[in-house]
Amino acid sequence: MMETSSQTTVAEAASEDATAIRIEGARKTYASLGQPHRDAVREVTFQVRSGEVHGLLGPNGAGKTTTLKMLLGLVRPTSGVFEILGVPAGPAVRAKVGFLAEQPYFSPLLTAAQTLALHGRLSGMSRAAVGARVDELLSRVGLAGKGDVVLAKFSRGMLQRLGIATAIVHQPYVVVLDEPASGLDPVGQRDVRNLMLELRESGATVLLSSHQLSEVEAVCDRVTILDRGRVAAAGRIDELLNIAGQTSFRVSGDDDMLPEGVRERVVDVAFSGGTHMFSVADSDARRVFDALDDAGWRVLSVSPKRETLEDYFARLLDSSYEEVGE
Amino acid sequence: MTGRVWALAASVFLDALRRKVVWVVVLFAAVMAAAIPALPSYGFGVVEAVYREVALALTYLATMVLTLSLAANRIPAEIERRTVYGVLVRSVRRWEYLLGTWLGIFVTVGAAVFAFTVVDVVVGWLAYGELMFRLAEGTFAILLEAGVVAAFCVAVSSVIGPVVVVVSALAFVFLAHTRSQLLVPEDILWRLYPSLDALNIINPVAHGGGVSVGYIFSMLLVFVGWTGILLLVSTALFSRRDL
Repeated sequence: MMETSSQTTVAEAASEDATAIRIEGARKTYASLGQPHRDAVREVTFQVRSGEVHGLLGPNGAGKTTTLKMLLGLVRPTSGVFEILGVPAGPAVRAKVGFLAEQPYFSPLLTAAQTLALHGRLSGMSRAAVGARVDELLSRVGLAGKGDVVLAKFSRGMLQRLGIATAIVHQPYVVVLDEPASGLDPVGQRDVRNLMLELRESGATVLLSSHQLSEVEAVCDRVTILDRGRVAAAGRIDELLNIAGQTSFRVSGDDDMLPEGVRERVVDVAFSGGTHMFSVADSDARRVFDALDDAGWRVLSVSPKRETLEDYFARLLDSSYEEVGE
Repeated sequence: MTGRVWALAASVFLDALRRKVVWVVVLFAAVMAAAIPALPSYGFGVVEAVYREVALALTYLATMVLTLSLAANRIPAEIERRTVYGVLVRSVRRWEYLLGTWLGIFVTVGAAVFAFTVVDVVVGWLAYGELMFRLAEGTFAILLEAGVVAAFCVAVSSVIGPVVVVVSALAFVFLAHTRSQLLVPEDILWRLYPSLDALNIINPVAHGGGVSVGYIFSMLLVFVGWTGILLLVSTALFSRRDL
């Protein structure tokens, strides 16, 4: 299957349909005998555009994993539409999807090469195509020469590297990553980040579920934030994090005090290592810049004020809980 | 489809080859088979028949132990360890996963039964100077029954844990061989009773002239029917399961 499609580039495949993943009205209700029904996911709707890295965020129990499991056929949805590359998310289209889970779930009694070959074959690759790719992939993820080692002898980091290899063995158009860097050391986290950047460069679409907000902020184009089974916010990271009407300055000068004409206009100030950071209303930005220039201060950067994803996330969840409290 | 099923079967087989239980059972059975000639003799002309009967009984026991140890916990363990995620997020249908798993177990058990057969024939030849190739008919029937038991384990284990699987599989084997004790052919339930008696050919192989090609064909039909039904049931159960 992939041998024929490999003649088409990922970018071409992506351009065939602007939406790589479409989830509409997803709902999952768990029913137990004698227990009230519990909605794990309620009317979740979002789309992932072709070629983008899309973050799926939310606290524990928000419904991220259940949503991904419904998309990948591990959990039967109560209702909703799930599409990948424009077709219903069934087994056929999953040949074009790669998946990397939080924990490396492999049989400990198979070797790395056997595991990689199995996943390639299950994704529709021919025996010859898999055989030609195993060594190349193992060396790409830093496991050169480990093909004949059984996985029981692999460390957590080595298993995660193998997980990366199995996720991309069939050159997928869409890659779903569920907490891929969780529990990894800095080198492993870097490898996962590099994988995402490589995938984006190749034109693949990435759906990333993660708790590591700094990572999400660094690599994601857009995010969807889930909270208690619902979409709490969605959009481009820039749009979500930019604070409308405010401009941030980073300046340095000889004085510890900001010059006159600036001091009275700043909203918040932080001073560290000889550098002042503050923000002002957009309407004051020109005047503040001139005042700094007149006072001989160096303006290191001027940018729209933006909060961190951590702050945004915490604020969003706080307001959500307040609404529930009311 | 075939490629995916065989890839899964191959991974189950390779995985099984590294399991100690497989080698322990095979070695134990081989040692026991070698010890059979030390049993008391029952007289000229009967001793070979006794050997064949005991060898087949031993092969049956070892094969069932091996089948249960491989099949009862395979799917529950894959679900618990979540290795099943990596398989089912690919373009693998759930029935393909179940069929591939069953096929891998069946091939592994088949390899072990082949080894048991070789040991039984070699020991028989060394002890009695007779090449008892007819034993292969009996061990083939044992393999077919092991295939049915493996399919039963796959069906039950797709929804429940290994302890219940082993207990229910033993109950299934017991019930499947008690039709003639509970019913007579004239009973209405005779034809409906889930019986595996057709696969019990120890007596004609050990004491008679074996079974005909036509009978072997009928055993294959019983095997295919039982296995097919059980794998269909397992697919129906497993397809509804959230993982």
